[in-house]
Amino acid sequence: MSDPKMKFLVVDDFSTMRRIVRNLLKELGFTNVDEAEDGVAALQKLEAGGFDFVVTDWNMPNMDGLTLLQRIRQTPQLKHLPVLMITAEAKKENIIAAAQAGANGYIVKPFTSATLAEKLQKIFEKLGKQWVA
Amino acid sequence: MTKKQKFDENGDSEDLQALFDSIASGDSPQPKLEVVSVSRKVDVPDGDDDALQALFDSVAAEFGGDDVAPGAAAADAASAPAVAAASGSPDAVFNRIGQMTRQVHDTLRALGCENVINEAVQAIPDARQRLNYIAVMTEQAASRVLNATDIAMPLQDKIAADAVGLEKKWDQLFANQLSVEEFKALAGDTRKFLASVATSSIATNQQLMEIMMAQDFQDLTGQVIKKVVDLAQTLESGLLQILLEVTPEEKRVPIMTESLMNGPVVNAQGREDVVTSQEQVDDLLDSLGF
Repeated sequence: MSDPKMKFLVVDDFSTMRRIVRNLLKELGFTNVDEAEDGVAALQKLEAGGFDFVVTDWNMPNMDGLTLLQRIRQTPQLKHLPVLMITAEAKKENIIAAAQAGANGYIVKPFTSATLAEKLQKIFEKLGKQWVA
Repeated sequence: MTKKQKFDENGDSEDLQALFDSIASGDSPQPKLEVVSVSRKVDVPDGDDDALQALFDSVAAEFGGDDVAPGAAAADAASAPAVAAASGSPDAVFNRIGQMTRQVHDTLRALGCENVINEAVQAIPDARQRLNYIAVMTEQAASRVLNATDIAMPLQDKIAADAVGLEKKWDQLFANQLSVEEFKALAGDTRKFLASVATSSIATNQQLMEIMMAQDFQDLTGQVIKKVVDLAQTLESGLLQILLEVTPEEKRVPIMTESLMNGPVVNAQGREDVVTSQEQVDDLLDSLGF
């Protein structure tokens, strides 16, 4: 199901990190990428529609990534969206909280492009299985 | 005080002194009052005793406190401060506040905290500036590197794509699938490709140099970071000393920070509550069934 045309939203308050994730996604063949600088901006873009995948940081001003994830899961037209968290938060309770809130993947910064590829692949596989079942 | 000085200048000083001496040794309130009466007498011509007494009474009632003071000061000098301190008068309060201020000041000085606090007050704006400098420098470096890769990657992509295309044609040639005309075209394309590889390599190299030069921030920010770390250490130990000094034993409870936004784990050594690798993240999620 990893359609190269699928549209990603990369959410991070640091433009450098957004650019890096965007470049990594491009290397993996995903060129349709938009960016948002915090959870509030992300939610606005997501509500406008057209996105297939969310990659988000945790610690951001205005609305953090966990809240964004919770809001996505609470919104009927968004709750199916896969959400991958890429964050420097490395406490076990963070990882558990993210998983419980419905994150599809969790990557700890600093990370490699191989890790991103692997996690995306895993998410696509799981979603594919879910759709088959 | 000014009043007393005037009084001394105007009055007959020898007489006055003699009178004063007799009063001071006599130590009774009545003679004290006559000090004033004598001084007033100078200004009053041909006054008799009754009139003088009346004048004196009115003047004494008016200026009583001030004029009595010179005489009283000699007799009561020793006892006055003690009386003020013993009573609950404002003077006593100010006195105590003054003593406490001095005590705090001395304590802080003894602890070496005075310097710490002074340094902190001066150093914090400086540290803020330094940290801003680091943020600016690292952001600039990141932008330079990303710009360089944005330029270099398409160049490399084009070389790779062109090479793949030529390789296929050469494979066809060796399989005897190309006509003479096609071979001539291939030879021309290959020649152009070789030239373009040379040009692209120079351009890519320039970007690699740019990436290398963008790392110069590390030297600058490293020095700045070291200074800020030193400052933080000095501040920490100073403030800790003050805290230990002023915090009662029973109030010393460990502070638990329960937050989900802590940023990167800077020192994971000896910590059980954090993960240090992506494998640990995956294992944790697996163990929870996610």
